[in-house]
Amino acid sequence: MKQTLLIAFPKGRLGDDLVPKLVGTPLALDAEALKSRVLRIPTATPGVAALLLKGADLPRYVAAGVASLGIVGSDTLDEMDMDLLELADLGFGACRLSLCALTGVTLDSLRAKSHLRLATKFPKATEAWLTREGLTAELVPLSSSAELAPLLGLADAIVDLVQTGSTLKAHGLVETVVLGRSSARLIAARGAYLSEPGRIRPLAESLIAALHAE
Amino acid sequence: MPVRTPHFPDLLFGAASRLRRWEDALMGLLETHGYRELHPSLVLREAVPDGALRFFDGDDLVALRWDFTVALAGLLARRFPLPPPRVAYAGAVFRRPVQPWEAVERFEVGCERIQPEGESSTEADVELARLLMAIPGTIGLKSAILHLGNAALVRRPLEAEGLFGELANAVVAALSRRAPHRVREALDGHPSAQRLAAHAEALLSELDGPSTLDALSASPYAELLKDERDHMDRTLKALLPILPPNLDLRVDLADVAGLGFYTGPTLRLWAPGAQQELAAGGRYDQLFPGLGRPWQAAGFCVRLSRLLDLAETRPDLFEQPL
Repeated sequence: MKQTLLIAFPKGRLGDDLVPKLVGTPLALDAEALKSRVLRIPTATPGVAALLLKGADLPRYVAAGVASLGIVGSDTLDEMDMDLLELADLGFGACRLSLCALTGVTLDSLRAKSHLRLATKFPKATEAWLTREGLTAELVPLSSSAELAPLLGLADAIVDLVQTGSTLKAHGLVETVVLGRSSARLIAARGAYLSEPGRIRPLAESLIAALHAE
Repeated sequence: MPVRTPHFPDLLFGAASRLRRWEDALMGLLETHGYRELHPSLVLREAVPDGALRFFDGDDLVALRWDFTVALAGLLARRFPLPPPRVAYAGAVFRRPVQPWEAVERFEVGCERIQPEGESSTEADVELARLLMAIPGTIGLKSAILHLGNAALVRRPLEAEGLFGELANAVVAALSRRAPHRVREALDGHPSAQRLAAHAEALLSELDGPSTLDALSASPYAELLKDERDHMDRTLKALLPILPPNLDLRVDLADVAGLGFYTGPTLRLWAPGAQQELAAGGRYDQLFPGLGRPWQAAGFCVRLSRLLDLAETRPDLFEQPL
């Protein structure tokens, strides 16, 4: 008997975008289970269940083959560099990874600082940008609410995801430089995809179709 | 940062006995096909790569054997004026894990087919593929999948476009992820972007049987890769009539694992549902010339540690109770 095939879906902002897109598709999530606190949700396809996971944990479940497929932001993938397949850019959840500072603080003034402090939960992308720019900085690792760091003097600027810019505006911050772009990606466990393509590939194609991949 | 717990496995009764049994059976299989065993030293004094387990022997930095092919190549180049055509090996290699679940000590059995430069390599490649086809039956795997690839399908177009270094690595990393959109991103603005992106689409379009080769017709490099396609076609024609019923043969045009090492045909053995390949190999014609020997070589390695893990986690994939 075949084991239940697991797909890892993200919780949070990306998950909020994703779940409505799946309604009416073979991978629609069970509405009753969604209302509960369970994190393993049946889908409309027998033998296929969804795991609801935090974005930063999700690639580990897929890389280890626990979940055969998953959806996660490319920003998370780029930070983690796990061994997995990235089958499609699903297009939704698009946002920018940007250097943001208090209104009036320019890139030149940040460059001029002898000890620049940048708060971020994206250290790898930030380090890559600093290298490209020939800058050095102290990285202040944060896992949430990075917008507070420049306001309270924890850092001179932040590197964070920006979608509409409203959170930045509410905290008196502006985007100074766009470092990169992120969107939702369909990922797959290398082993599952290469050893059982007949089982995984149709499901991946059905997800891409449901989510209108570009 | 990934959490890494260095893992040195202790094999208890069942696993230890399985390892011994599989090693014996596989070495027996190789011996009946004319492969003679060589056992390179466990301690290597050659240039030591980062992932090796290193230590000082007096003033000398040495390492535990991290790769049989490299260890054997050193031994063969030093001690043989002419290459022994068929060699086999069995034992452990020690490497720092890339993935957190990998062990540091890994048990392997493998073989190498070595020829003087200029000899036709087609028969040697088919011989290795046929041997690899016999592995699942030898160790009692109920069913398996053999992937045929060719490193030149990516190497040659990159070389033809003059793409080396960081940009070439980005394209290879994107192909390894089977992410055509990443290939386009990596090449954005490069003169070869359109051609290489179309090639990536062709390589990634199928993962199936012999008809997969037809996808190469859609590549802008179809003419450049004619010899490779013919070689894969000949290999398939030689293997399909003797395919065991429990083995599925697939063509994987986008196999780029080990691209810095492999120069031609590649082979990978999977079991349905296994998370990692169980054996892998291919042609690596640049290894011996780099050591001053005009020889060409190909080989494969059966990853016994992964098979031992699979026997623990998926005993249903094996014929008899383990």
